Amino acid sequence: MSNKKLRRVGFSQELCDRLSRHQIVNCQDFLGLSPLELMKVTGLSYGGVHELLYMVSRACAPQMQTAYELKMRRSNEQSPAFLSTTLSALDEALHGGVACGSLTEITGPPGCGKTQFCMMMSVLATLPTNMGGLEGTVVYVDTESAFTAERLVEIAECRFPLYFNTEEKLLLMSSKVHLHRELSCEAVLQRLESLEEEIISKGVKLVIVDSIASVVRKEFDPQLQGNIKERNKFLAKQASLLKYLAEEFSLPVILTNQITTHLSGALPSQADLVSPTDDLSPSEGPGRKQDLLWASQSEYLKILILLILNLSRKVGSKGFHEWEVIYH
Amino acid sequence: MQRELVSFPLSPAVRVKLVAAGFQTAEDILEVKPSELSKEVGISKEEALETLQILRRECLTDKPRCAGTSVASKKYTALELLEQEHTQGFIITFCSALDNILGGGIPLMKTTEVCGVPGVGKTQLCMQLAVDVQIPECFGGVAGEAVFIDTEGSFMVDRVVTLANACIQHLHLIAGTHMDEEHQKALEGFTLENILSHIYYFRCHDYTELLAQVYLLPDFLSNHSKVQLVIIDGIALPFRHDLDDLSLRTRLLNGLAQQMISLANDHRLAVILTNQMTTKIDKNQALLVPALGESWGHAATIRLIFHWEQKQRFATLYKSPSQKESTIPFQITPQGFRDAAVTASSSQTSSSNLRKRSREPEEGC
Repeated sequence: MSNKKLRRVGFSQELCDRLSRHQIVNCQDFLGLSPLELMKVTGLSYGGVHELLYMVSRACAPQMQTAYELKMRRSNEQSPAFLSTTLSALDEALHGGVACGSLTEITGPPGCGKTQFCMMMSVLATLPTNMGGLEGTVVYVDTESAFTAERLVEIAECRFPLYFNTEEKLLLMSSKVHLHRELSCEAVLQRLESLEEEIISKGVKLVIVDSIASVVRKEFDPQLQGNIKERNKFLAKQASLLKYLAEEFSLPVILTNQITTHLSGALPSQADLVSPTDDLSPSEGPGRKQDLLWASQSEYLKILILLILNLSRKVGSKGFHEWEVIYH
Repeated sequence: MQRELVSFPLSPAVRVKLVAAGFQTAEDILEVKPSELSKEVGISKEEALETLQILRRECLTDKPRCAGTSVASKKYTALELLEQEHTQGFIITFCSALDNILGGGIPLMKTTEVCGVPGVGKTQLCMQLAVDVQIPECFGGVAGEAVFIDTEGSFMVDRVVTLANACIQHLHLIAGTHMDEEHQKALEGFTLENILSHIYYFRCHDYTELLAQVYLLPDFLSNHSKVQLVIIDGIALPFRHDLDDLSLRTRLLNGLAQQMISLANDHRLAVILTNQMTTKIDKNQALLVPALGESWGHAATIRLIFHWEQKQRFATLYKSPSQKESTIPFQITPQGFRDAAVTASSSQTSSSNLRKRSREPEEGC
């Protein structure tokens, strides 16, 4: 909305030309100037400038809805509000499952099962609605090259043997998962920006990004001062893109994150395994800022699930059985 | 009027021509008719008429100011203000400790800023206040409506439904002990549908939409005169990642702060802004400070900082013109924002791993 060209707001051609000579082309440029500057640029009086401001504000301000209308719209919507994870304890803790229209972040130590979880959710999303799925396709953005199609098929076969009783059904399911391997921050961003068209054309019902941390950690060294700002900008851009997609299309979006080890106090032997968003001790160095910025994207809409696997339990062929769920 | 032409809000081109034609003060121009003015100065008749209208309007409002008695100028004695403050309502938060340190609750006619790390409860407080502002007067509320401007997308209707239901139940309990007409009637109007219908929600995706919405707010508030609370949830987010030009950011933020203050005063409402925290590196130590810089610290009248200490949430009143600096614990229950439980609550998780945040055990309402 802020990129709306002033011409479409209803300004006269002459005024638009005059403004474009000062590099004021869209609503964002216009609203960034003070009334005095606008008077100088447009040559109008104070009252005239306020009329223009009013027109431009009307053009880009959001629509008003009452909370009641929001609620009614949600209950009237045909699509379900949650994607159940089929793990009863987790579903109960999340009040239904992975919420549609929100970002959900899965964090944990390496090997605890984040990618397995994502693969399981991919299978679930392709199932028909009477089985608890979303009956749609899945976009899987893989930055660690950890996705294997064989494992996906294995999970589907062992988990739902009655449904996936033919080879055909398995192949159909696997054709519904669209995998994108992106190995740099730039590529991830480009992929997310082009995702909107894909979502509409392919009937996507679930977006997974596995993982957001790996590309960032590869490319931005937090020790270098300038990098922190760049890293923050990238993370913020990514988060707002994903939030926009989640809200606009009512999709569940699942992200995986890595964790960083924090050694607390004077006990180097006992390492607290803490998620990057949790670490608030002042002894940490410059690494804090970007994690805070990422975490601050995760207001209520983004639900943090920490899966801390009891390392003695093996992930069975069926996917997951029981998990200790610690949530926040 | 001896006022000089430069001080009037005329368009610069017209002003230059007027000065070139020899007009110095407003008095000179007001004597002349529009058609004569246009011929002499070389501007169009419409421009001449507009100029005269502006001058006349400004001069009219000037006169009462000179006389010293004016309805327009906001001049009070401290005694009048004291009386006003006594009758002024507060918006209660349902956490009595927090209400106490604020002097009764969130005050009207002032801007309050709530800062905190993610997940500590800022949006929960905002949603709670959007419900609490609607509590009828006989129960100690201000019976107003709320405007919720959301920049982060963290507003969840289902949560507001839960909060509203808890509030209704709470009021029913109170009404049960009072038994009089007024309370019963007020309760009838305080239904879930009414509560939700009086929360006006705007979702702004970037700072341009936020600026546009704030610019249009005075008109909206004139049409909805019962609004007593404006919440901007997430004033930091749109300004932190899209804007590279720091001086532009400071200017826009200051403008916003001024607009909020004037809204609070003109329409007698409370303004709540939520802010994020950022890390400041100070002598090899990393401190958590509110985001948006030092100059933003002056914007809000009252500043609350929420933080964690082990497993307990705390609220610190950091800046207030009338209350003392203090810190109190609070908690967020399924019913909403409440006082901290007195007894130490046992952790719900069976894991022995250290978890800093655990939900308080569900207590019956």
